[in-house]
Amino acid sequence: MIKLRRGLSKDAVLLRPIAEGAPHPSGFAGRQGQVLELSPGERWIGADHAATATEWEGVGAACIAAAGRAPRVALDARELPAHFAVGLGVGAVLRAWRFEILKARRAPGPRRLELLVDDPAALADAWARAEARLSGVLLARELVAEPANRLTPKEFARRLRGLESDGIEVEEFGRPALRRLGAGGILAVGGGSAVPPRIVVLRWKGGFRAPPVAFVGKGLCFDTGGISIKGAAGMEAMRADMAGAAACAGAMLALARRKSPCPAVAILAIAENMTSGSAYRPGDVLRMMSGRTVEVVDTDAEGRLVLADALHLAVTRFRPQAVLDLATLTGSVITALGHHRAGLFHNDAALGAAVAAAGEAVGERLWPLPIGGRHREELNSDIADLRQCVPDGTRFVSDASNAAAFLREFVGTLPWAHLDIAGMDTAETDDLLAAKGTPTGFGVRLLDALVERHFEDPHRV
Amino acid sequence: MLDIAFSKPALPKAGALVLLIAEGAAPEGLAAQLDTEMEGGLTRALEAASFKGRKGQSVTLWAPVVTVTKLLVVGMGPLAGLDAEKLGGGIYPQVSGETQCTVAADGLSAAQAAAIGMGAALRAYRFDRYRTTEKAEDKPKLDKITVLAADPSGAKAAHAPMKAVAQGVFLTRDLVSEPPNVLFPAEFADRCKELTKLGLEVEVLGPKEMRKLGFGALLGVAQGSINEARMVVMRWNGLSGGKKKAEKPVCFIGKGVTFDTGGISIKPAGGMEDMKWDMAGAGTVTGLMAALAGRKAKCDVVGLIGLVENMPGDNAQRPGDVVTSASGQTIEVINTDAEGRLVLADVIHYAIEKYDPKLMVDLATLTGAIIVALGHEHAGLFSNDEELAARILAAGLATGEAAWRMPLGEAYDKQIKSDIADMKNVGGGRAGGSITAAQFIQRFVQGRPWAHLDIAGTAWSSKDAPIIPKGATAYGVRMLDRLVADHYEG
Repeated sequence: MIKLRRGLSKDAVLLRPIAEGAPHPSGFAGRQGQVLELSPGERWIGADHAATATEWEGVGAACIAAAGRAPRVALDARELPAHFAVGLGVGAVLRAWRFEILKARRAPGPRRLELLVDDPAALADAWARAEARLSGVLLARELVAEPANRLTPKEFARRLRGLESDGIEVEEFGRPALRRLGAGGILAVGGGSAVPPRIVVLRWKGGFRAPPVAFVGKGLCFDTGGISIKGAAGMEAMRADMAGAAACAGAMLALARRKSPCPAVAILAIAENMTSGSAYRPGDVLRMMSGRTVEVVDTDAEGRLVLADALHLAVTRFRPQAVLDLATLTGSVITALGHHRAGLFHNDAALGAAVAAAGEAVGERLWPLPIGGRHREELNSDIADLRQCVPDGTRFVSDASNAAAFLREFVGTLPWAHLDIAGMDTAETDDLLAAKGTPTGFGVRLLDALVERHFEDPHRV
Repeated sequence: MLDIAFSKPALPKAGALVLLIAEGAAPEGLAAQLDTEMEGGLTRALEAASFKGRKGQSVTLWAPVVTVTKLLVVGMGPLAGLDAEKLGGGIYPQVSGETQCTVAADGLSAAQAAAIGMGAALRAYRFDRYRTTEKAEDKPKLDKITVLAADPSGAKAAHAPMKAVAQGVFLTRDLVSEPPNVLFPAEFADRCKELTKLGLEVEVLGPKEMRKLGFGALLGVAQGSINEARMVVMRWNGLSGGKKKAEKPVCFIGKGVTFDTGGISIKPAGGMEDMKWDMAGAGTVTGLMAALAGRKAKCDVVGLIGLVENMPGDNAQRPGDVVTSASGQTIEVINTDAEGRLVLADVIHYAIEKYDPKLMVDLATLTGAIIVALGHEHAGLFSNDEELAARILAAGLATGEAAWRMPLGEAYDKQIKSDIADMKNVGGGRAGGSITAAQFIQRFVQGRPWAHLDIAGTAWSSKDAPIIPKGATAYGVRMLDRLVADHYEG
């Protein structure tokens, strides 16, 4: 990803963060966002007031953005404290990542990254940890970037099998197994597609015996909306509707790569929501894996249906100490919070606070949203135990909260947090750790940090 | 307004009687007395009805004794954590058809007895001035409830400030309920002037004065309508008595769009009639000022409301227009339906310049996005001040007018950058729509302690709640009255 080096290699362009100092005659004063092309071989990048590892990640990303066409670059982290140096490297790797396997010719720009440090050996351990996390982020990004004709539910599962080489157990529930489990939610959602749905379970044993932490991810390889079909404009973005599952898979890889002692399990609900003769319909009543019946109101509110089964499986099979689900679930969370924060819902104040704090720590920011009594009441159905959402056409529906109220019905009493990451899967602007329009891998670092901070002490659980 | 009286516990001579029984408790006090008179009939009836005193349980007996026409026994649930207001609100619809009603609260404290009366009064509100053909038997007959309390004078004293607050609530509900052809800016201002009889100083500014003050943002919204804009300033000098100011005042600022068609960026027809209550922020501030004055709050408070009507017209503001606000900052109007923030911008600036407030709270039915975000049980709270935000959240919980904190931040602020002016009035797309609106307002508060309540989801209720009949809720009056009472008086 990035090489730690003591000295500058001959053909590398030096990217030097400048935190402060007398203003340069050019007007460069070290402010963040400023770039000075000092010479063909050296650029200065403003880094003033960068005071946290997250801010140094931003500087690292700014370095790459400022590198132009230079194929080989060296970021100068000499004299920086270790955690800032790591941050600089992390930001550079994240920003330099590109998805180019489908292009005949790769675009110019940095490919070989070096991090100049005073003592590479001293930083090796810290960097290895960061690299484990990064490998998870990059896996998630790659999965999200893959178009839906390539990353079908079957192919998604096949790629997840690749995690076995990192010591992760992979178990797959295909359609027959899902039928045996009575997983009426995911079977209905995936029923319209030529490629059947599946639930993939990833297990990381960790270093001590304890109930695992469970990640549950929504993995809609493509979401047309089904019979309640979406408008054509922007539908191509629905290839990313599996970003929740991708983030969970990435987090599992991060835990495995850094040999986390915490037992963890990921339950990924993978399906494709298509329109066809075998597609499920508005008005259908589904019997879910938990035995509850659900009235379908809108086939485009499919995420909560696949998650309901996955959550039930997670809770009943693993009795986890905490359940976290990630899903690109609702447009309404984007209306609520925009593209700068994901929505956080929970049934446990301590877990909610821990998740929010982990997000702040890694720069994947969340904001709590309510599940009110009325949000649940609105899901009362005339024909089934509950309906899946409030019918469209009602003005101003708080669907993100309705969806969370729906999911809560399938969790029971275990500590649970739900992250609605719609709007966060793809970078909206260019000033972030991902170039505009590319996948962010949102959630991987947050989950990994959460486990690291709260679930790795065997005496606590 | 439902009249509430208090007297010593004694069985009434006539009318309906309401007995209150806690969960698992046997009839005590007056209830026991009645039970004796009924020769144990009450106990038997309660047993027959499996009455356990649970919250929401009630049993009705008709004419159990000669003096009582209707006996209603209501469960209070566990006494710890009793919400006496909601209890009173729940009782009212069950007795509203009676001509006389007595509620026996002899087992409760004076404050609880007072709150039962308050709850019943709040629930009894009706806006029926435009119902000309309603039959008499369809109207509620009850105009007075007598609450029996162990300490009636204590209960009466506790009820007096509550009554003032209830009157404020009703003023707000009236204003919000009024149709837009009746309540336009000048009429709204006239109704504010009536508050001088409560001791408020009321000042009304018209277009000429506002033009002089440079209110380009507010007047831009108003220019499509033949109904002229107004700004009303209501001052309550409960602390200084209008003399030299001892302390900086608290300012409440309300959005008062008496009708919002959306302007040139016109709204779709479905549900547009709801836009008569797009002045609920201003209505709430007005009712709040009446409440504070009515109960003679010991603080200096200024309420400022910006009143306009947003109409499409031959001189209406267009998308693309750039207006200069009173603060000097320029605004590119992208969407004429994002008008509330334009009104607030000028009024807030005026509040700061003229009154140097120690804190400001603005209320506005500002965005549909806040309903998408939170639904109807919480208003959105945005604030640049942690202490103020915490106090508002607490006051909301205490009064049942809940708020939910929403984020602010530079990333959201960037969304309202304009290519031609200092800012634009919408954030580009629907993403984070209530947050970008709050960011817009924040640009006018000059860093002062400020909170913004987006009440679009809470100003109007489509169904009855214990102390809020369907319709205008007056959300915010009781919360902010409580905020003042708890932190800024005396």
